[in-house]
Amino acid sequence: MGIEVKNLTKEFNNKKVLNNISFKVEDGETLGVVGFSGSGKSTLLKIICGLLYPNSGEIITPPDADIAMTFQYSALFDFLTVYENIAFPLVERKEFRGKYSKEELKQIVAQKLKIVGLQGIEDKYPSELSGGMQKRVGFARAIVTNPKIILYDEPTAGLDPVSSTLIENYIVELKKELNASCLVVTHQLSTIKRATDKAIMLYEGEIVYKGSTQELLEGKNPYTHQFVTASIKGPMQIKSL
Amino acid sequence: MINVKKTLFYQGINLFWSEIKEFLITLGNIGKDFVRTIKAMSTLRVDRKTLIEQCSRFSVDSLPITLTIVAMTSIIIAMQIAPELAKQGAGNYVGSLSALVMVRELSAIMSGFAIISMIGSSYASEIASMAVTEQISAMKVLRVDPVEYLIVPRFLSGVIMMPFVVVVSTFCGLVCAAVISNITAEITYLNFINSMWHGLFVKDIFVALLKSSFFGGTIALISCSCGYSTRGGALEVGISTTRAVVWSFVAIAIWDYIFASVFYL
Repeated sequence: MGIEVKNLTKEFNNKKVLNNISFKVEDGETLGVVGFSGSGKSTLLKIICGLLYPNSGEIITPPDADIAMTFQYSALFDFLTVYENIAFPLVERKEFRGKYSKEELKQIVAQKLKIVGLQGIEDKYPSELSGGMQKRVGFARAIVTNPKIILYDEPTAGLDPVSSTLIENYIVELKKELNASCLVVTHQLSTIKRATDKAIMLYEGEIVYKGSTQELLEGKNPYTHQFVTASIKGPMQIKSL
Repeated sequence: MINVKKTLFYQGINLFWSEIKEFLITLGNIGKDFVRTIKAMSTLRVDRKTLIEQCSRFSVDSLPITLTIVAMTSIIIAMQIAPELAKQGAGNYVGSLSALVMVRELSAIMSGFAIISMIGSSYASEIASMAVTEQISAMKVLRVDPVEYLIVPRFLSGVIMMPFVVVVSTFCGLVCAAVISNITAEITYLNFINSMWHGLFVKDIFVALLKSSFFGGTIALISCSCGYSTRGGALEVGISTTRAVVWSFVAIAIWDYIFASVFYL
């Protein structure tokens, strides 16, 4: 069933950050959400995962669907070890409390760490890991409950090109592994190209492009053209600089 | 000239209004977090390990600084009053006066100040840091209630452990007062202890324990709440920590006044 967003509108101080946004992501599909800084991309993710309430519109997900989100700066709990971070939802969430034994938890954490290519780091603290490793631990924590919807907020921001490729590969693998609907908010063309099936582009809170990733990268639409050519001239004016 | 005066007047009004607004927002946040904490506590599910950790932090970790402050205050008071009372022939009252001052007032309030500066400030800054690095948002996305996980154990540790801290610090303060009275005014230890028991009532001990429990809960709640409502970055973490310390100081002073009015007026 995936996820469907219908006529979503969000205002901050009477300013529309998202205006009548609608799209649908099927199971096993990844939607890239692109746009300039301040275009409402992160706000969209925060509304979908329930951190913010929309002013109007609706988000349709399967009943009891688990929504996971990875954060731009990983948001790992710095006072917990990698093992405790990943096991956190299984230990602390009401519906899972007492459900798993210590042995089972160890196995689940080891399995999730293996999926993101990290093994034997259970006892380390987040501060002992590199930025790329922190992101992957964040991925492992997000998928520990086998979610059906995964939201990625700038998954490759601040990483070197090789680490970015690695992260993009994991996004693709996780989608296949869980048959999940994924949303990837990103600025990076390489991430859009490698990790997404289709894309929307936001400008001033509105969708200015909706279609395949391939078409977006071809830049036939004046908005997408300006974005992929990184041109200052075009229909989009950067006000935040 | 008139325009300059007008502008300054309006700036003053704006500043005053923004301070009032800030005050009301902080008060509202603390009230909201108190209700959430009570609601989360009503499930009777508190992680024992986290609670024990927080209790240990609140009491054992803060004891050295708390004992030092209470002991020094007690020594200074004994140094001032013991020789004077002995000179006036009232040496027999040094013990009861010290006990009264320590049990009714000084031990709880000085321990409170020490706990605010050591534990309250660290509660506020660590929760504020979590808020600005999206760790609290992550907790919400993982469907774990941050109030239940972060605030409830800290609030409970304050309510449970503050009386313990106050009992230990009172004992330490009275021992120091007895030693100093003996050194400076030659008041015997037996005399000091006898006098102490004459001056104290069970009610004093009960009120001190109840008051310290209120102090502990208030410090923990205000500190956590100020941290929890932080938005922004490093600057806001500092502002929240300062706010937590100032509000906690004022709150326990108000509680102290309320307890004195209710039980001793």
